[in-house]
Amino acid sequence: MTALLFLLLAPLFSGSVKWLKARLTHRQEASPLLEYRNLAKLLSKAWVRPGLSTPVFLLGPTLVLLGALAAALFLPLLPGLSFAGDFLVALYLLNLGRFFQMLAALDTGSAFGAQGSYREGLVTILAEPGTLMALGAAALAGEGLGLAGLPVLGPENALVLLLVLASLAVALLAEGARMPVDDPTTHLELTMVHEAQLLDHGGPLLALYELAASVKMLFYAGLMALLLPGPKVLVFMGVVLAWALALGYLETFGVKLRYLRLPDFLSYNTLFGVLALLGAIWKL
Amino acid sequence: MSEGVMVSALALVGASLVGLRAWGSGGYALLLGLGGATLVQAGGGMWYGDGSAAGVFLRLLGLLTMALASYVPEYLGHHPKEAPAYAFWLPLFLLAMVGVAQAPPGLPFLFFWEGMALLGYLLVALEGPKAQAGARAFFLASRLSGAGLYLAFLGQGKLGPDWIWAGLLVGFGVKAALFPFHLWLPRAHPVAISPVSALLSGAMTKLGLYGLFQAQTWFGPPPVWVGFALVLLGLFGAVYALVRGLAEEDLKGALAYSSVENLGLMLAALGGYFLTGKVLFLGAFFLHQVGHALFKGLLFLGSGALSERQLSRLGGLWHRMPLLGGLVLLGMAVGAGLPPGAVFAAEWLLYQGFLFAPGLLPLGVGALALVGALALYFYVRLFGLAFLGAPRGNVALHLGPGMRFGLLVLAVILVGLSLFPQEFLRPLGQGLYPSWVPWGLLALAFGLYRWLDRRPSRSYGTWDCGFQPLTPRMQPNALGFSEPALRLFPFLRLKVGERPELDEPLERVYQGVGEGFGWATRLVQALQSGSLHFYLLLQLLTLVVVMGVVLL
Repeated sequence: MTALLFLLLAPLFSGSVKWLKARLTHRQEASPLLEYRNLAKLLSKAWVRPGLSTPVFLLGPTLVLLGALAAALFLPLLPGLSFAGDFLVALYLLNLGRFFQMLAALDTGSAFGAQGSYREGLVTILAEPGTLMALGAAALAGEGLGLAGLPVLGPENALVLLLVLASLAVALLAEGARMPVDDPTTHLELTMVHEAQLLDHGGPLLALYELAASVKMLFYAGLMALLLPGPKVLVFMGVVLAWALALGYLETFGVKLRYLRLPDFLSYNTLFGVLALLGAIWKL
Repeated sequence: MSEGVMVSALALVGASLVGLRAWGSGGYALLLGLGGATLVQAGGGMWYGDGSAAGVFLRLLGLLTMALASYVPEYLGHHPKEAPAYAFWLPLFLLAMVGVAQAPPGLPFLFFWEGMALLGYLLVALEGPKAQAGARAFFLASRLSGAGLYLAFLGQGKLGPDWIWAGLLVGFGVKAALFPFHLWLPRAHPVAISPVSALLSGAMTKLGLYGLFQAQTWFGPPPVWVGFALVLLGLFGAVYALVRGLAEEDLKGALAYSSVENLGLMLAALGGYFLTGKVLFLGAFFLHQVGHALFKGLLFLGSGALSERQLSRLGGLWHRMPLLGGLVLLGMAVGAGLPPGAVFAAEWLLYQGFLFAPGLLPLGVGALALVGALALYFYVRLFGLAFLGAPRGNVALHLGPGMRFGLLVLAVILVGLSLFPQEFLRPLGQGLYPSWVPWGLLALAFGLYRWLDRRPSRSYGTWDCGFQPLTPRMQPNALGFSEPALRLFPFLRLKVGERPELDEPLERVYQGVGEGFGWATRLVQALQSGSLHFYLLLQLLTLVVVMGVVLL
């Protein structure tokens, strides 16, 4: 159910961010709903099969989207699936998609694809430990490993959960390929991470990749919503709205970090993760 | 010892004798296969029965033997000169490993243990002068391992548990590539021929783990520090091995580093079990072992089909041999710890074990996550550079039907274990996530893939920016691909450029130890001048000193 919701909501989310960015830079804005038509157009198009490509080329978009949707399945926003330790499976499902996305980028034999691919690998190395530690801390502060048993922000666990939220916020920026980690609009090879991997994917393949990127961001927003008090779906909508605003402003007035400065920025993720975990251990 | 083990032992001895004369014959393959099948059978009956883990090891060994039965005769066709020797020693090596898993503690165990080390050394050294350094590293490691075990077995009843377990940690830890002692493994494995690497990495290193696990029934429960040492060194070793392996240009060398990583996680799981006694850790420990033996066997045997192993000279192999590409991709995806692979299931258990362990152990989750992310990078690099993209050199490929069958056997079992890990964990009383989750995902992926593949498409070249046509040289080479990640770990002091260099800090430590030892021996040598006068003088001096000490 949650996966379906995400699938329907994803184009609206990315469309709204684009709309807001256009507004902020005084350009003629397009309707946020345009993304749906854009996706429909891409899905109906023919795609280009590079001469060097292998079946891995198609596995990339397939598994990225399915992995992200399967991960969303575990979020208990709407009736879904849950068992102990499901947040580990969810994050590793994102990794499954990432593995094949990186391979699909290498598959064409282009230098860009490879660049994007190893940069993605680097971002993963930097972001993954902090995220998992943060979620682990939340699980420790709650009543079990499942996402359904995550604790809700309250006076007794405020510090730990705020750290977890901060860590997840940094992870969302890295995972969604947004500024300051990556610039989703750039086509300058010096800065591209996500886009460089998709260069040779067109038509329906590109549509799947774009959907997957938004679904991933919604997944992280959903994780944050689980930790906040209130009715789940409403809180989730609020978090998503807040993120759309934040991203619009950040990407208008902020800059992308230099590639070699990324470790500095993403180390906050790790730091918050470690502190949250230490806090959770201390309380027990 | 059960009848099944006896039958397989006889079959292995038979294979060894047949192999001396007719290694290419069906009889050799048949005998090896029989040995493997009976081992699997025997292992199944006593799987983790009465606190003994021998069943798991017999089963694991049997599976590898079955795959080798069809693989080895054809593979040896490339080494016609050494083939009879390989065919003779290989079954005996297997036999020695069966013996280790079955022997009672004490002298019989040490006999098989040393036999295994000796045969392993012979199999590595047979490869020729190129393999000398690797074989020597293996031999030295075996000696160190033996020394630790003698200390433990001979000291039983005389020494305290701290000393006994220190001996065991060295003795079995060296074989299981415990962190500071792991250097021999990436040296020895890549130089051996592929079937031997598969056995060394898939089975022999596991016997070190088996020993550490069984030792608690032989010597009593370990002191607390052993558990902590295993967790810390295991996790640190896993991270270290992956980082170092990211810079490895040799395909099999990189696979060997990945073995160190996997073994590190298993050691950490065992340490966690020693500390907390939780069955979660035990599930991770055993499942990871079988999963690792299968996927690493698959990868090592698969790399045996290539004539060239330098990553920067490979590329585009998929187009030439899609079957090999698919099987290797399966092995690497499992090795990268992706769901629903068996290695992922094991890591999943390990995560949960650490999260609810007492003290600061939950921080191990961070190390595990780092290992997961690094392994992803690591295997993307190996597979992407070797099998995808444009070819970068002339590589001869050889994968006959028998070799293919051996790979398929391993792949099928690996898929089975990945889709039904519950069956494996049930005897431990250990549950896992619902198995229809991976099934559903795979079915959906298949459907979506088919849909995409049938959408209209046209063939065209890769986008080249419109400047000049792409050439294979524009793809990153093996070191270029990993350079961004290696920057994060400055202790390796990577130098990129025309002649890239990589420091191995640990190697210098060992070199220092070796030099110190050499210095000490030279000192003793100086005493052995061969001159009788000098000896008499020394005797007199000794007498004077002793008298002096006694009298005063």
